[in-house]
Amino acid sequence: MSLYVAAFGFGLVSVSVIAIAAVGFTMQFGITNMINLAYGEVMIVSAYAAFYLNRTGVSIWAGLLLGAVVGAVLSFVLNRILYAPFLRKGTVPIGMVIVALAASLMIANLLLPIVGFYTSSYTYDSGPIVRSGGLVLTSVQVAIIVIAVVLMLAIHGLLRYTRLGKAMRATSANPTLARNCGIPVGRVVDVVWLITGALCGMAGVVAGMNSENFAVASGASYLITILAAAVLGGAGQPYGAMIGALIIGMVTELSAAVISPEYKEIIAFSILVLVMVLRPQGLLAKRGALAAAG
Amino acid sequence: MAQIILNNVDNFVGRVKQNAGERPVKSFQPLVRQSSIALSAVIVVLATACGGSTTSSGGGLGSGDLVVGVIAPFTGADAGLGPAYYAACLPAALSVNGNGGVGGRQIKCQQFDTRGEPADAVPAANQMVASNSNLMAAIGCTSDEAATVVPILDRSHIPMFCMTGQSEFNKTTLKYFHRLVPPDEFDAYAMVGSALFGPGHAPYKRFALVFGNDIGSQAFVGPATNAITKLGGTVAINQPITLGASSYRTEVAAMLATHPDVILTEALGSAGTYMKEVKQQNGTPIPFIGTSATIDPVWFKDVSDAIGVDDVIKYYSAVDLGYNLSGPGYSEFLTQLNAATSTFPAAAKYKGRGATLHLYDGVIMTALAMVATNSKDPTVYNPAIIDIANGVSGATVVNTYAEGVAALKAGKKIRFVGAAGENNFNQYNNSQQGYILVGVDKDGNEITNGTLSQAQTQQVINAGGG
Repeated sequence: MSLYVAAFGFGLVSVSVIAIAAVGFTMQFGITNMINLAYGEVMIVSAYAAFYLNRTGVSIWAGLLLGAVVGAVLSFVLNRILYAPFLRKGTVPIGMVIVALAASLMIANLLLPIVGFYTSSYTYDSGPIVRSGGLVLTSVQVAIIVIAVVLMLAIHGLLRYTRLGKAMRATSANPTLARNCGIPVGRVVDVVWLITGALCGMAGVVAGMNSENFAVASGASYLITILAAAVLGGAGQPYGAMIGALIIGMVTELSAAVISPEYKEIIAFSILVLVMVLRPQGLLAKRGALAAAG
Repeated sequence: MAQIILNNVDNFVGRVKQNAGERPVKSFQPLVRQSSIALSAVIVVLATACGGSTTSSGGGLGSGDLVVGVIAPFTGADAGLGPAYYAACLPAALSVNGNGGVGGRQIKCQQFDTRGEPADAVPAANQMVASNSNLMAAIGCTSDEAATVVPILDRSHIPMFCMTGQSEFNKTTLKYFHRLVPPDEFDAYAMVGSALFGPGHAPYKRFALVFGNDIGSQAFVGPATNAITKLGGTVAINQPITLGASSYRTEVAAMLATHPDVILTEALGSAGTYMKEVKQQNGTPIPFIGTSATIDPVWFKDVSDAIGVDDVIKYYSAVDLGYNLSGPGYSEFLTQLNAATSTFPAAAKYKGRGATLHLYDGVIMTALAMVATNSKDPTVYNPAIIDIANGVSGATVVNTYAEGVAALKAGKKIRFVGAAGENNFNQYNNSQQGYILVGVDKDGNEITNGTLSQAQTQQVINAGGG
């Protein structure tokens, strides 16, 4: 029993990391209609920015903030110089997916000669072990959970209770109508790229902390889990991504405890396939935060 | 130019025709083989039509550069392996090129990335063969991709030196395949031997087997389990782990719950994450014994970053093939390896890596075989590789390429004893040596802690069914 309780605690950590990343990804898609396959690489660039800062002796928590800034700026620039011009030309969705894939490969291959293929790790003190009712977590893992909860609440508050959030929801629902109503859609989209980029950057840093090391190739593996959580919850739905992260993270850890670590990803993705068969639009497709503004 | 193109195509078609009468390799479907041959032929035609290749015509050693293909993972989970093999080719090329080349022809080293995936390795191998009519040998072909790469190279009559331990090559009949390392199960036996007979600890009784779920890593599990159980030990847990996962917290909790004395492991790319979580949950690491593949700077950095250098030194040990790391053959290797750092700065890190030493020797032996037979035709010089490695009656021992060429020019038969020491190929083109028990220093350099006696080694092998 204690193993299952411990696995539940570990699952909370995994859920937190996935949720931060998946919410950013799904908001990008929900509001800008862009499947940003370079998301994993932006995470890794941000993780390395934090790594180089951390290597100078600066706290990893400062690195987390730098990661957020780098992720925000890189995502903003990526949209402005690459995605937006293609969208303005009317590139079809599948074409945009290819553009994003190309961006992903370019970033990874530009990064490789700079950082090398070696894995990198942050230097930080994991802090005392927190033991409670069978849960065994380091202080840093608890901090990651708290960060994720705070960010999720902040996203909820942004979308529900601010004018910007309302504008985002309107842009998501119908950009043409939103523009005609006086909403500066272009500016809203820019802000969305900055906010989701910051989430992406922070996700990269916490993912690096969570796995203890990372390399350029890690971006692609992160993206698979992020896509799974986003699609499971309903593409474009932040709350759906949170639920998707919860399911993927928990099932992965608990199945490793109950059955075998060998099958944990198979089981998690089998659930994804099952949900897609039963509910192709995802769990929260019609009731998400990015539904039409009220 | 037209004549050159014709020769290239003729040579390739000739290779395919010669191969047509050979027995098919069991594990490959004829359709796949035919498709890959056809694809290779198309690529060759296109490549030559574009004027992309340079070669010579006529007999003897020919002219123009020669290529040694380093076909291995340079990206992916096993990305640390490719550089170790590239670091073997560069000093070999420098040694040959600095001593007149192969009949004046210079050797170039070229990387072909398999990503550590059999499916990605096929196009890489086809491209290597098809776009390089001057390919003299290939090195690398790890357990990740050997099953798909080796048949392609053998069909194309390319001598290869593979760092695969898969048992399917224990009694291979592929003529162009050469293996300078023991099968994987021998690494498993040596790890069990280290746990039972190693220095500095009482014999371990309870074992956790933590290996990546890739083909290469899982090859150790069966032999290790057999040896452990028949020698009175207990496999507390056999835990295949998904390489590249973001965490192994639950796996580590499950493993620790079985209270093992020692972990036997090869989980390249994930060892740091796993061991950090062991340290976090257990308070301290527990002893872990790695395969010879863990004697690697990439692995060392990964794990030492995660748990600290002091804990790696204290809790980690591994098995490796026995090398003297001395003598004229090794000195020449080291000199050229240091020179190679101008083009590959990380090369010097591989000065004690067994695979690097062996593959260096493989390239040198191939070059000497070409000189000995005065032929650029692999069907002619390939058999001479084993003659030079094992030596024939009355052969003069040489330790460097320069010595070998000088002896050959003097009309002598030679036996090459290179950086890794003597080779003894059997009828299956396998050459094997004994094992040493090793650790690392604070810089990740290998330190010999002990050796397994012949009796101890044989006891474990017999128990494991080897």
